[in-house]
Amino acid sequence: MPSLHLRHVCVEFPIYQGSSRSLKKILISGTTKGNLARDAFDRVNVRALSDVCFDVENGERFGIIGPNGAGKTTLLKVLAGIYKPTQGRVSISGRAMALINASVGLNPDATGRENIILRGMYMDIHPRAMRRHIDAVAEFTELDSYLDMPVRTYSSGMMVRLAFAISTCIRPEILVLDEWLAAGDAQFLAKAQKRMEEFVSGSSIVVLASHSLDLVRQWCRRAIYLRQGVVQAIGPVEDVIARYEAAPL
Amino acid sequence: MSANSTLEYAFAPSAVAGTEAALLPAPSRVAEALSDLMAGFTRAWMWSALAYQDIKLRYRGSLLGPFWITLTNLVLLVAMGEIYAVLFKVETSTYIPFLMTGLLVWQFLSTVVNESCSTFTAAQDVIQQVPLPFSIQAYRTVYRNLIVLAHNAVIIPFGLILFRVPVNWHVLEIFPALLVLCVNGLWISLLLGTISTRFRDVPPIVANAVQVVFFVTPIFWPIEAVGDWKPLLMLSPVFAAIDVVRAPLLGQAISLHSWLILLVCTAVGAAFGLGFFVRFRERIAYWI
Repeated sequence: MPSLHLRHVCVEFPIYQGSSRSLKKILISGTTKGNLARDAFDRVNVRALSDVCFDVENGERFGIIGPNGAGKTTLLKVLAGIYKPTQGRVSISGRAMALINASVGLNPDATGRENIILRGMYMDIHPRAMRRHIDAVAEFTELDSYLDMPVRTYSSGMMVRLAFAISTCIRPEILVLDEWLAAGDAQFLAKAQKRMEEFVSGSSIVVLASHSLDLVRQWCRRAIYLRQGVVQAIGPVEDVIARYEAAPL
Repeated sequence: MSANSTLEYAFAPSAVAGTEAALLPAPSRVAEALSDLMAGFTRAWMWSALAYQDIKLRYRGSLLGPFWITLTNLVLLVAMGEIYAVLFKVETSTYIPFLMTGLLVWQFLSTVVNESCSTFTAAQDVIQQVPLPFSIQAYRTVYRNLIVLAHNAVIIPFGLILFRVPVNWHVLEIFPALLVLCVNGLWISLLLGTISTRFRDVPPIVANAVQVVFFVTPIFWPIEAVGDWKPLLMLSPVFAAIDVVRAPLLGQAISLHSWLILLVCTAVGAAFGLGFFVRFRERIAYWI
């Protein structure tokens, strides 16, 4: 049974700039004493998430809302297993599939069809197995003859359709979606929502981050509201959105 | 604030704290790194496909593809072979096969080392979006260079026949030798790949070092040419790495001396590279 558990999760990013990116400068500054040593380490730590705790159980649709820079994408990356928290614990049971960027693993010069195979590889699906899904993916995208054109000719909406269709062609246990999904048109979003609902009824978890409150309201039952990496509220989606809208900007 | 009553928590995260029992036990760093290496290895279909794709993209639109390098090597061999044979006062017919096989191995070693710096930075997009074993990128780097090596090796049989080098069963010894070189390529990729995500000036430093090593290692000059320095140069693991492939191609058995130095270097390097990977593996996604 897929589930997500987070306990006191903190994520701190070291921001390296200038000379802290340079091994030479750090070695040189190590041999000289005094102020110089401190100057060479331009290290600033940014706390992207602090003390986040929550559980998402099987069959839930969970939303993440918050203003820009709230830590939504960072949280998604933690849930997808990309970032290991610097403090706290995360336990992810189930195969997580992250759609954080629509174009990842897509080769702009290859055709849509070739990219289905390519993207499948990054999803850990063998090309032979992926070939069986091409028709289903093609049907869902409704891209027809565009599938034989290089992906660089696609509009961002078409890219979203293709990426979404590929990523969901095999039912993921945990699907993690970032806000780029909103680039799709209303008809696509309706179709995507239907597919999500099928997943969730068949034991999967969907986590969606967005600052489109309508999308979150439509897709999710529970939500978390983040602000500068700190949890402001967790609960039923309407209540959390009410809290978000009430917050001073 | 009427919504407060239904919210699990508003500002204090203590509501779900103290329920750590729900979490699975955390695997140790060593276990995670080893399972990363295993999971990567078993996805041979993935890294071999990615390596082929790298080569295809690199030579897209060029007529000869990777054989361009083979052709360049041919020109280099003829030019260097003629001149340096005179300089070192050796026969062209013995010098060219020696140079040809030495350069073949050196090009493999040096590109593995140079490209190992971009093992993870080249896969930046994927690492930040998809949780795949990191080791896949290291296998990909080594395998990609093996493919290039195979292209470059095409001229070797012709050269050996042309200069009447006696080919015998020793030639089969190149296979265990190449396997050991690949193991070295793997730990170098993990080590330099990780360091280069953190320190962006490492690739040029490595490139400079590689260039120096080329000139001080007996690749294009015979080791006898240095006279009294020979015992010292024999200790170089780079010389050993070249020798274990060059000797069997030239019809000689691999010397015990070269095997010993190479294997010691492999063991020490692999232990160090693995230790480094265990320690810093989780940081790669942050540094990149």
